[in-house]
Amino acid sequence: MQSESARMSSAAEARYRIDAPNSKPRSVKVIALDHPSERVIKDLAQRKWNNASFFTASAFGGTPKQGESFAGWLSDLAGRTKNLIEEVNGADLVVMVAAAGESAQAASIIGEACSVKRVMTTALVLGGQSISDEALSKTLSHLRPWALMLVIASAEEYIADMLTALRA
Amino acid sequence: MLRKEQNDLLTRTGPGTPMGQMFRLSWQPALLAEELPENECPPVRVKLLGERLLAWRDTQGRYALTDEFCAHRGVSLWFGRNELNGLRCPYHGWKYDHTGQCTEVPSEPSESGFCQKIKLKSYPLVERGGVLWTYMGPPEKQPPLPEWEFALVPASHSFMSKRLQESNWLQAMEGGIDSSHVSFLHSGELNSDPLFKGSKGNAYNMADMKPVFEVVESPGGLYIGARRNAENGNYYWRVTQYVMPAFTMIPPRADHPVHGHFWVPIDDENCWAWSFDYKVTRPLSEKERKAMEAGQGIHVSYVPSTYIPAANKTNDYLVDRKAQKEGRTYSGVFGIAMQDASLQESMGPIVDRTKENLVSTDNGIIMARHRLLRALKAMEKGDTPPGIVAEHQHVRSAAVVLPPDKHFKDAAKEALVVQTGKEHVTV
Ligand code: FES
Ligand SMILES: [Fe+2]
Repeated sequence: MQSESARMSSAAEARYRIDAPNSKPRSVKVIALDHPSERVIKDLAQRKWNNASFFTASAFGGTPKQGESFAGWLSDLAGRTKNLIEEVNGADLVVMVAAAGESAQAASIIGEACSVKRVMTTALVLGGQSISDEALSKTLSHLRPWALMLVIASAEEYIADMLTALRA
Repeated sequence: MLRKEQNDLLTRTGPGTPMGQMFRLSWQPALLAEELPENECPPVRVKLLGERLLAWRDTQGRYALTDEFCAHRGVSLWFGRNELNGLRCPYHGWKYDHTGQCTEVPSEPSESGFCQKIKLKSYPLVERGGVLWTYMGPPEKQPPLPEWEFALVPASHSFMSKRLQESNWLQAMEGGIDSSHVSFLHSGELNSDPLFKGSKGNAYNMADMKPVFEVVESPGGLYIGARRNAENGNYYWRVTQYVMPAFTMIPPRADHPVHGHFWVPIDDENCWAWSFDYKVTRPLSEKERKAMEAGQGIHVSYVPSTYIPAANKTNDYLVDRKAQKEGRTYSGVFGIAMQDASLQESMGPIVDRTKENLVSTDNGIIMARHRLLRALKAMEKGDTPPGIVAEHQHVRSAAVVLPPDKHFKDAAKEALVVQTGKEHVTV
């Protein structure tokens, strides 16, 4: 007699996999950390997404002082100030996008907020190919403490592919 | 998730398909040299990329990989007679040489030259590193022979096996770069299998079940770095190599042989999982070789005289629920290879990727698909796909401890490529 595993792993049986949604839409917040990534994200925001929203922290300068509020570090793509904590609070995943060689300073404050709110973070570094190892290492060292997943991609299109893969 | 058309594009490898074309443009392992042990030995059926072929070895030791079926009335030449310098169809006696050229049609007067009009499709078949490799693409694009390190070390330094996996190649390959499953599915083996245990890295693995990943593009594919905490604020990195389309290499542990895989489509619902193990500067010890032959490590034991794993879908992979409860194996299936294969086969022959819910830690898989899709587009425009030039093949996996501010791709630059005469960098 055929084993159950043999029977159930056939192509014929695969057709009976239940055809019902097995997940709810996830909220993904994509944040550009610098001007070059902001440009990339603006293009991306034009496309149709399930539940992805796009922000920039490129105006962010240095490290915030003790006791300073998180407000004002984040804005949407139209330039309206957004409350970082509020945005992070409603997210399932925060994706930080940085251009290789840029300082990625804002990563710490966004990462801090995500860590407080227990939100998963992913960092995407674009254009690592054309930059010196040293400059890239600098960007990475700012991102590394705050990113639970870090990707260095050569093609901007990777962000779109990743967001689609994550059902964003 | 992938859209259905993307899933189809990446999983279909028959003649005329783009993914099939990418496989066909590089040398693929077709069978083990041990399968054709001597001149005029029995021929072996080989199905690759959805094509039914026959591998055989003629009187002079020339390897042949030809269309399986006789041009006359379609008999399988597996029943053929391996005669002087050719294979003869047992039905009406047509005879073929190692290039597939028909050399005799007994019913026709030999002066007619009729046999010259008959030729079976054939592909080159070349031995290297105990493997018979074939190239199934257009002859004018045939690249130099493969230069994967395991195939170039002395025979005493390496061990290669293959096993049938009853699933599409892509879900098998994706298992090879899915580093986040190791701390779960294979947790029982890390400290008991003779080919793994006793590595310092295992302690890091077990102490830190939640590695952080970095996915970095490499010239031929990807580096997937898994980062765990080591002493003094340093990081323990395990860097897996993926070279497109179907080569993966697992990071080393201590002085154990280094291993990796090729995931080669037989057809769209089956693949060969090729598994190699090697050392650069020393022969494998008797103990290591015995363990590999016995199916330990990444290898398997077989149904006698086949390459079908002894634990397979027809016996429910010999699942042992008691061992699972007791924590001796995480899934109840024994052995690294069959732990992977049982789960990947359970997904069905071609998993429906429109139903997936990938998460951040799946970025290695997401990036591999992204690179493959990009490479397919570039190939359409006439570019040579990755994995074909020697530089893409001279790669190594590595296990290293680095200071926190170092990027492994550049701090471990040398560890990630072949260093002639030197072992892998490992912890
Ligand atoms: S937890 Fe990964 S497939 Fe189920
Ligand atoms: Fe595995």
